[in-house]
Amino acid sequence: MSATATARRWVFAGALVLAVLAALRLVVPAGSVPGRMLASVLDVGYASSVLRLTVPIAFAALGGIFAERAGVINIGIEGFLIVSALTTVIVARRLPWAGVTGPAALWLAFLVGVLVSVAVAAVFAVLVVRYRSNQVIAGLAVWLIALGLAPFITLTLFDSSSPTIDTFGTWSVPLLSELPVVGPVLFDASPTVYMLLVATPLAWYALRYTRLGRRIRACGENPKALATGGVSVSRVRYAGVLISGVLAGVGGAGFTVGQVGTFVAVGQTSINGRGFLGIVAYLFGNYNPFAAVGGAMLFAGFDSLQLRLQQIGALDIPAELFGILPFVVVLVTITLVRRTRVPAALGEPYEGEE
Amino acid sequence: MSRALPEGLRRTLRRFAGLSAVERVLVSGAAVVVALLVGAVMLLGSGYVASCREPALFLAGTSFCFDPVAVYAAMYQGAFGTPVNQALTLQRMTLLIFTGLAFAIPYRAGLFNIGAQGQFVLAALATTVSLLALGPLVSGPVATAVLVPVGLLAGAVVGGLYGLLPGVLKTRYGTNEVISTLLLNFIATGVAVVIVKRAFNNPEIQGTVTRSIPEAATLQPWLFPPGTRFSVPVLAATLLLVGGFWWLLNRTTLGYDIRVLGRQQAAAVFGGVDDDRVTVLSMVIAGAVAGLGGGLYVMMVVGRWQVGLPALGFDGIAVSVLAGNNPVGLVPAGLLFGALQSGGLAINFQLGIPRELVDVLRGLVILLVATPELFRIVGRRLQRQGRLRPAGGESG
Repeated sequence: MSATATARRWVFAGALVLAVLAALRLVVPAGSVPGRMLASVLDVGYASSVLRLTVPIAFAALGGIFAERAGVINIGIEGFLIVSALTTVIVARRLPWAGVTGPAALWLAFLVGVLVSVAVAAVFAVLVVRYRSNQVIAGLAVWLIALGLAPFITLTLFDSSSPTIDTFGTWSVPLLSELPVVGPVLFDASPTVYMLLVATPLAWYALRYTRLGRRIRACGENPKALATGGVSVSRVRYAGVLISGVLAGVGGAGFTVGQVGTFVAVGQTSINGRGFLGIVAYLFGNYNPFAAVGGAMLFAGFDSLQLRLQQIGALDIPAELFGILPFVVVLVTITLVRRTRVPAALGEPYEGEE
Repeated sequence: MSRALPEGLRRTLRRFAGLSAVERVLVSGAAVVVALLVGAVMLLGSGYVASCREPALFLAGTSFCFDPVAVYAAMYQGAFGTPVNQALTLQRMTLLIFTGLAFAIPYRAGLFNIGAQGQFVLAALATTVSLLALGPLVSGPVATAVLVPVGLLAGAVVGGLYGLLPGVLKTRYGTNEVISTLLLNFIATGVAVVIVKRAFNNPEIQGTVTRSIPEAATLQPWLFPPGTRFSVPVLAATLLLVGGFWWLLNRTTLGYDIRVLGRQQAAAVFGGVDDDRVTVLSMVIAGAVAGLGGGLYVMMVVGRWQVGLPALGFDGIAVSVLAGNNPVGLVPAGLLFGALQSGGLAINFQLGIPRELVDVLRGLVILLVATPELFRIVGRRLQRQGRLRPAGGESG
C-alpha cells in the first residue's frame, strides 16, 4: 500500500507545483522581460544548486527515518545538525594550530562534527530508551539546547558568526562529467552530493533487506513481537537513534564544510530549520528514503528558485511568499492525500525490559 | 494520518500524568537546580577558553574569566534588583503564561500544539492592524475603552482561527497536529511579513515595521516607573484567567472531557466524549489564548508589529512543561522563565556573557522535566543508601 500511497502523493504534489508555476506564468507573461529571466534561471546551474541545497535536508530526513522506524520520535534532529555544523567549523579553525592543514584538516573536521552529533544522539537515546523520557519534549529540548549552546560557544570563541573556513569544492568524475546536462549536475559536484547519492539507495536497501533494517522496522511496528523473538528492543532502538545521529551529523557537517564554510549564530543559526524540513520531507515521503529525498529536493528547489529570482530581481512577488510555498504544498499534500503510514509503536517507550 | 502516533503519545502522557503533584513539584525543582549546575560548569568551561584581562575566579591555580556564582547573582539582580528589572521580569512572565496556556490546554487533551508561535505572530498583526484602522475614528476618553477591547478581541479571534485550522485538519483529515502546527508556524511568519510589506509598512523606518498603534490603545505602566512596559492590571487579569482555566479544566464538563480524552482516548470515546469537538475546541481555545498574548505584546510592549518577534510561543512550551501543564503551575514557571530572560539580558549587558546561556538553561530544564524516571532512580538509590547508613551506624 505504501508504494501506491507515495506515488499518489507525488502526483498530487507535482500537480500542485505545476499549478503554482502556471499561476506564476499568469503573473509573469512568457514574453515579458521577467518571463525570459525566469526561463534563464531554470538551467544547469539551478539544477546543481538544488542538489547542493538538498544535501542537509535530505540527510536530516534519512536520519529521521531510521529513528522513527525504530519507534523513537526524533524532533531533535535540527539540534544534531546545529551541533555538527558548529563543531566542524571549530575543529577546522583549530587544526592548523596543530599542524594539520589542507583537505586532511577539512575531512578530520567533518569526521569530528559527525562524531559529536553521534554523541548527542547517544545522550538522547539513553534518555528516551533507558529513562523513557517523553520523546517529543526531549527532542524539542535537544533542539532548544543546541539553539542556545551554539550561539553561546560561537560568541565566546568568535563573534556572531564564525570566520570562514575552506570548503571541499567540487570533485569532477572524469569522462562522465562531460556528458551534456547530466554531467555538470551529477558528476561535477561537491563530495557531499555524492555522499547523498550513495546514502539514499543504501538507506533504502538497509531498511528493507538487511537484518538490522528488518529489526528496526519491527521495533517501530511491534516491539513486543521482536522481544518475543529474542531481540533486545532497547538495543535496536539505540542503533536506530545512533544511525540517525550519524546521518544528521553528515548533513550538518557537510553543510558547513561542503557548502557554506561558516557558522552563523544569529537567530535560527545557519541551519535555519533544515532539520525540521527534513522531518516534513520524510513524512511527505511516507518513511521511504527515496521519496523523502525527493521531498527534500522539493524544498531545495523552491529555496533555490527564490534565491535566484531575488538575485536578479525578476519577480514582483515577495521572497517570503515564495519561501512559504513549499510548506503550503506539503501541508495541503499530507492533508488531502492521507494515509501517512506511521510506525505503530512510534513514541511508545518499551516497558518490557529493565 | 492514522491514530497510531497520538495513541503512542497518549501512553507517554498517561505515565506522565501518573506522577503525584508532590513528585512533580520535586522533579521540576530538581530539574531547575541541575540545570543551573550544568550552566555553572558551562560558564567555567567558557571562562577557561575565553581570554580576558581580569580573571574573575582562581581555582586550583587556573584562572577563569567568569565566576558562576557572581554570574547568577548578576542574573538575580537583573531580574529582581530594581523596579525596572522587576517590570521586565513580570512582563515576560505575563506573556509566557499566555503562550504556556496555549500549550497546556491541548496537551491535557492529548494534543501537541507546537503552533503557539504562529498564532502569536498573526494575532499580533491582527491587533496592530485593527488598532491602526480604528484609531483615527475614536478620540477622547472613550478611545481607550473602545480600542483596548477591540485590539484584544482581534488578537484572540485571529489566534483562535489559526488554532482552528490544525484542529479541523486533524479531525476531518487526520493530519497530525505536531506537523501541521510546525508548518503553520513557518507559514504564519511568511504571511505576516508579506502583508506588512505590501499593505502596512511604515515608510519612515527601515525594515518591515508597521506604524505605531494609537497612544490610547497602549497599556500604561502603573505602580512601576514610566517607560517600563508592564501593566499591573494586565497581570491581575492574567492571574484571573489562569484561575478561570483551572476552573475550566477541573470543574466543568468540557474540562472533564479534555482530561479524560488526554488520559484514555478509547475510554473517553466509549463513555460518550465527542472526540472531534473536544479536539477542535481545545485547539481554538489555545489559539485564542496565544492570540491574546500576541495582542498584549503589541499593546503593552512594542506598540507595533515588526519582524523578529521574540520566540515566546516556543518558550511557552518550556514553561508549560515545567509547570506540569497545570494552569496554576504556569505562574511560578512563568516567573522563573521571565526572570531568566531579564536576567539573561542583564548578564549580557553587564558582564558580556552571551544571553544564550539562558536558552541552554531553558532546554536543560525541560529535558530533565521530561525525564522524571531519572530522578526517581536517583531518589531510590539515595533512599537505599539512607537505609543502609543507620544500619552501618548500629553495627559500628
